[in-house]
Amino acid sequence: MSSVLSEIRKDYLYNMILKGTRADGRYFDQYREISIERGVIAKAEGSARVKLGSSQVLVGIKMQPGEPFPDSPNRGVIITNAELVPLASPTFEPGPPNETGIELARVVDRGVRESKAVDLEALCITPGKQVWIIFIDVHILDDCGNLIDASSLGAIAALLSTKVPASKFGLGEDHPLPIRDLPIATTAIEFGDVVMFDPDSDEESIANSRLTVITTADGSICGLQKSGTGVLNPEKIHHIVDIAGENAKEIREKFLEV
Amino acid sequence: MDRKVVIPGDLLSEEAKRSGEGTFVKDGKVYSLLYGLANFKDKINVIPLAGKYVPSSGDSVIGIVKDVTFSNWIIDVNSPYDGLLHVSEYPRRVESDEMSKILRIGASIMTRVKDVDSTMKVELTLNDRKLGVLKTGRVIEISHTRVPRLIGKGGSMISMLKRELNCNIFVGQNGRIWINGSADDMDLALKTILLIEKEAHTSGLTDRVIDYLKQEKRARS
Amino acid sequence: MGENDANITFFKDGLRLDDRRADELRPLKIEVGVLARADGSCYIEMGGNKVIAAVYGPREVHPRHLQEVTRAIVRYRYNMASFSVEERKRPGPDRRSYELSKVSREALEPVILTSYFPRSVIDVFVEVLQADAGTRTAGINAASVALADAGIPMKNMISSCAAGKVDGQLVLDPMKEEDNYGEADMPIAMTPDGQITLLQMDGHMTPEELKTALAMAMGGCRQVYEVQRKALIDKYNQMEPEIITDQEQPQEAEVL
Repeated sequence: MSSVLSEIRKDYLYNMILKGTRADGRYFDQYREISIERGVIAKAEGSARVKLGSSQVLVGIKMQPGEPFPDSPNRGVIITNAELVPLASPTFEPGPPNETGIELARVVDRGVRESKAVDLEALCITPGKQVWIIFIDVHILDDCGNLIDASSLGAIAALLSTKVPASKFGLGEDHPLPIRDLPIATTAIEFGDVVMFDPDSDEESIANSRLTVITTADGSICGLQKSGTGVLNPEKIHHIVDIAGENAKEIREKFLEV
Repeated sequence: MDRKVVIPGDLLSEEAKRSGEGTFVKDGKVYSLLYGLANFKDKINVIPLAGKYVPSSGDSVIGIVKDVTFSNWIIDVNSPYDGLLHVSEYPRRVESDEMSKILRIGASIMTRVKDVDSTMKVELTLNDRKLGVLKTGRVIEISHTRVPRLIGKGGSMISMLKRELNCNIFVGQNGRIWINGSADDMDLALKTILLIEKEAHTSGLTDRVIDYLKQEKRARS
Repeated sequence: MGENDANITFFKDGLRLDDRRADELRPLKIEVGVLARADGSCYIEMGGNKVIAAVYGPREVHPRHLQEVTRAIVRYRYNMASFSVEERKRPGPDRRSYELSKVSREALEPVILTSYFPRSVIDVFVEVLQADAGTRTAGINAASVALADAGIPMKNMISSCAAGKVDGQLVLDPMKEEDNYGEADMPIAMTPDGQITLLQMDGHMTPEELKTALAMAMGGCRQVYEVQRKALIDKYNQMEPEIITDQEQPQEAEVL
């Protein structure tokens, strides 16, 4: 999944896992330290910088009026993109997003969209002609593992800090973007029959499979994404879903006030 | 039953020691790796119905020269892997600047696989009186999975064909076949080989081929 | 997932819009070996989906720098024909097809014995000729059969199916309206013994619904497997095989 890990390091990680710990001493279902800073980019309508362990992600929200999609004339539009810029990792190359970047953006988008965190109908300006378009742009700054969770957290934190720039376009007064839910993505990897949450980059590179569970504030699930070339049995999936819910609740309570 | 069509993942036996080609062992049981015909003898082998030829040490194959480098000819052996014929594996001493003259791009050779390493580096040789450049005759290609049927048990099918067709026939493990004889005999040989390829899985094939040859020869005379 | 703007009644007397029960698959047809140039191929009709899959390989990797020294790489390209959907689709990959290609490749790779073919590539091409919800599952089903048809060694077949939620009810193998206006869609893929290789969901499900939907989709996959198996075996059913092997010492298979 990530770059090649030396055999010696792989063995070391594997042995630690057999003994029941991770290289950095965390429990299998434990997250690294999280810090969120909101409103860090003045020119953006909303923004957030998330640190998850040493991974760092910056999410900017831009809003502008535009045309609705033909099949949903009364609804606003959300467009999510992720840039895995070369400064973030020795393995990122310049150029258009590859499948990893595209998958990341689409999973982040799924969380926001399927949770209905943003009321798209409230973003309608003139039915059939003009609606608000929300651009969620994820900019990866440092890839030390689990970019999906960091980016999803960044997206909802940035949305929570977003002000609709109505006055700039003569469409009324600026006001906070109403957010109705707090989707949280929690990702686990499976390796050697063990499930670990919030993998760092070494753990990601030895993982067989990865499963992301996106939960909403009431504990329902609005997204699932398995990736990697391993297999999962239903029991492991149930286990991951159950712990994901608990982890998401904790993260939501600690970092995202309603 | 001692033969049946199987697909990947089919359980073949509860005895791990019976695992043969085209099978794998998991938790002491034998499963098929391929879509093909499972042969239940002491060992269970699954013969694929399709697949690419992968060179194996000792195989005799017909190759086509595809490139010439400083010290190697690169040979297409009808496989995802090219063969390397090193200049020292040619029966006489060749200077580097002579190489394209001796074997130019497009030349066909009857060669043998000397060695295959774990990265699938395939080394070929021409150091044998039975091997060499093919100057006359014709080369045709069939699926390599049909080669065993074309050869027959103990070489029975191929010997019969050489005799009845009055042709020299060399069957490469890679599915390439060289035929040499009169123009008419080569035509018949070609048609017969394609017939065998098409009906390799049917029973009574040997008798049908014999009948076919009798018919064709009668029509000619 | 969309909103039920059209106010469709999804259930009538316990039957769905296309007269299916909640746990019933759409009609499924599989044809093996439909393309002459490809090394392996399969055509599938799953409901209104018409999908064709072709496998080329193992073959040389181009560009060379992509090759891996110890195994084959697997490439999967999911593509929709411009005429396959209601509103003409611009040709070429879009972001959705990149993601679908990635997860589909990851659904099949776990069973392919790539170590048998170092420094080569196994290319899987899937073309959606007509789309009717569940194209990725149809693609994976066809690809699995095409890989077997090409003689690629695999530990098992992969079968794929989706579960959905419509009007609060869980359904198997959603059709177009159920997919567009339903509340959740969960495509999965698995081996016949229940090892899951693809798992995605978007929409809204409680943890309990998720577990039920997963079990329902797994049941659907098992039904698909039976059709895949029959199609492959029927292809050579009428003949009595008489294969002679000239090998004296077949190699031991490695113990995995």
